[in-house]
Amino acid sequence: MAKLLVMKDISKSFYGVKALKNVNFDLESGEVHILLGENGAGKSTLIKILSGAYRADSGNIELEGKHIDISRLGPRMAEEIGIATIYQSFHLIPHLTVAENLMLPRFVRDGGMFIHWKAVFQDAKNALDALDFDIDPHAKVKDLSVSKKQMLEIAIALSKNAKILIMDEPTAALSQKEIEILFSTIARIKERGIGIIYISHKIEEIKRIGDRVTVLRDGSAIATVNPKTTSAEELISIMIGKTISSHNRRVVTSAGKTLFEVKGLQNQNFSKPINFEIYEHEILGIAGLVGSGKTELAQAIFGIDRLDSGKISLEGNKIVITSPRSAVMRGIGYLPEDRDACGLCLNMGVKENMSLANLAQLHSLTYSHVHETQSVQSMVDDIAVKTPELSQQVKYLSGGNKQKVILGKWLLANCRLLILDEPTIGIDVGARSEIYELIRNFAGDPGHSVLFISSDIDEILEISNRLLVMSQWQIVAELDPDKSSKNEIMQYSLGTRTRISHD
Amino acid sequence: MTKNNQSSSAGKTGIMRFFGRAMKNQAFSMFIILIAMWIVLAFMSPYFFTVSNIFEITLQTAVVAIIAAGETFITLTGGLDLSVGSTFACSAVLGGLVFQATQNLFLSLATTLLSGLVFGLINGLLITGLKVPPFIATLGMMGIARGFALIFSRGIPIFGLPPTYMWIGQGKLFNLIPIPTVIMVLVFIVAYLLLNYTRFGRFIFAIGSNTEAARLSGIPVAKVTIGIYAICGLLCGIASTIEAGRLGTIQPAGGNGYELLAIGAVVIGGTSTFGGEGSIIATLIGAIIVTTIRNGLNIIGVNAFWQQVVNGMIIIGAVATDQMRRHK
Repeated sequence: MAKLLVMKDISKSFYGVKALKNVNFDLESGEVHILLGENGAGKSTLIKILSGAYRADSGNIELEGKHIDISRLGPRMAEEIGIATIYQSFHLIPHLTVAENLMLPRFVRDGGMFIHWKAVFQDAKNALDALDFDIDPHAKVKDLSVSKKQMLEIAIALSKNAKILIMDEPTAALSQKEIEILFSTIARIKERGIGIIYISHKIEEIKRIGDRVTVLRDGSAIATVNPKTTSAEELISIMIGKTISSHNRRVVTSAGKTLFEVKGLQNQNFSKPINFEIYEHEILGIAGLVGSGKTELAQAIFGIDRLDSGKISLEGNKIVITSPRSAVMRGIGYLPEDRDACGLCLNMGVKENMSLANLAQLHSLTYSHVHETQSVQSMVDDIAVKTPELSQQVKYLSGGNKQKVILGKWLLANCRLLILDEPTIGIDVGARSEIYELIRNFAGDPGHSVLFISSDIDEILEISNRLLVMSQWQIVAELDPDKSSKNEIMQYSLGTRTRISHD
Repeated sequence: MTKNNQSSSAGKTGIMRFFGRAMKNQAFSMFIILIAMWIVLAFMSPYFFTVSNIFEITLQTAVVAIIAAGETFITLTGGLDLSVGSTFACSAVLGGLVFQATQNLFLSLATTLLSGLVFGLINGLLITGLKVPPFIATLGMMGIARGFALIFSRGIPIFGLPPTYMWIGQGKLFNLIPIPTVIMVLVFIVAYLLLNYTRFGRFIFAIGSNTEAARLSGIPVAKVTIGIYAICGLLCGIASTIEAGRLGTIQPAGGNGYELLAIGAVVIGGTSTFGGEGSIIATLIGAIIVTTIRNGLNIIGVNAFWQQVVNGMIIIGAVATDQMRRHK
């Protein structure tokens, strides 16, 4: 029997830059084939060609042995021949019910012009039951959890007779429990002979659900291997083309004088007043699950959320922070979790983004353009932002480089305290280690420290000098990462273990 | 304008690259379109390319262009000001009444400019303080300012302006360049410098590009927003003194539909209605295009009522073209 999908010698250039070079990729029915690669390696380009968003410059695509005319492969044709993409950001209609979303636009009519609602809901229920999906057809989509929305997207794709499902980092927004549900869903749809192309950075999950993994690097397919028999180190080294030491132990250890102190901080979010201090040169990690209050703590300190009470001091002097502006003026920088929505002016250049906070701190009407260009250029060189020119709009940069632009912005603004909220989310392994390096270097400079917020416990154990665990909108533990473990942090996060070593 | 900065910062480009960039530059391509329009109109009417008509165009442009400069600042932040025409009328009426009461020209002009500024300030405060969307805040102000213009003047035009006032609209520098043209050029030079060489200008682009990112970078978003609406109001005041000077009277119904012309000039100039991208020079050319169309339609004898139809179609057409270009 012919393979479900064969893509041969696919090439694609954007403005003379080769994004894909003669890439070969194939997919069997009932298989999960993982695409692994750093941002900019060509994964998205490849799947966008398959889903008809981009047109390949050359190459062949065969579906179940039948030749597909790539010059005619657009989004509509992709849907017709059974290729469906499950998007990271769901394109469901939030105010309509599950059934309406599922049946749209093929509603059963009541003989004439009216919709036969009873039949619509019954059909939807049958379709969901057939898949063994536990979703109420009457529920409004906006009330569904993220994982149920994802299941609904899958159900919609399958109802349109999809043979190939493309999933682009489907676990990015899911909790551990929801990930388990997704994996069992994937196992079930595999049984129906559906082929799945799965994009992910997470090595553990690749090893768990992948049948094969193809690694892309710089637009070429480097290797296709079995993830179950290939070690994580091996996968990473194929992906980034060099070997990295898996543990880059922190260099900053000694706690010096207190740089930043929070006492009795309280607003409507927290269940208990927040107290902690950060020493000079310290990277203080804050661990906790999604919804534990980590992000809200950052927002309270940075002046985004209003404070009801509490004292904040910097280098022993009490400071009042009423707005992000007042925080920035005091030398506090904030890297928000959602870098595109809150961190960057996407259609402005690298230069304009990086100088923004520094300009905000000035008091004069004008500023030196020559100095701006020079200081941004030297920062770009220092922290190795990969950009063709300073005027490049940041929306064209990869995730890692975007994050470097934001870090560079705060470095140029001479920040003393950097608050980082999930700084490596969606960033590939290579860029990730560069960002850790930058953060360590920053903390190493005199008068600097870092508040590092992350849901990734391994990451927090690796980078922080000391860490706090948040759970249920309060700080529940203070731990030494050298003496703590993933297990212990998880127990505090989940509330199965309680102790407050520091008050 | 970020595009202009880019080409200068990149520097050392070959002639071909320069030409490529120039074609991408909105101001430049608009300029080509303008020249093409002038050539067509010159063929259609022998009167078009006369010296007096060219000056007439720059004169007519001045009022629209100055308002459009203010509208550009607002559009760059992703906002909108519908109240420009009413602010224009009301600030002129207030100035005119002060003149009638005091016979003091300086006081009268100061009142006009100040009241324009205050109307803009109120718009800005409504938008930042009470979080009223710009569309609604300025729509309301459009009604309020127009109403007050009619109430204060009792609906009667104000006559008897002194010769010095007329000079603002009718005078000529060196007996050649109309004063309105001079004022317009000065306004655009200041606006250009403000947008491209000051922190305020950079903040305007940043707010338009991503308000949240701008706020989290420490930019005083509310202050800048209030500032641009105030500037727009002030520019409406300046424009209204020019028009009053030209006509010799102050019309409480004046400036009607000017928001259409001003927004038209801005979007023809290619400033994105989503904010963050655009150029003040392109707005100037956009204003000249708007005026040329109006003037050209007059000359070839098209009914004045049709001009509004054409204006509306141009705004929609300009934004539609811009959208097509973006999504290509």
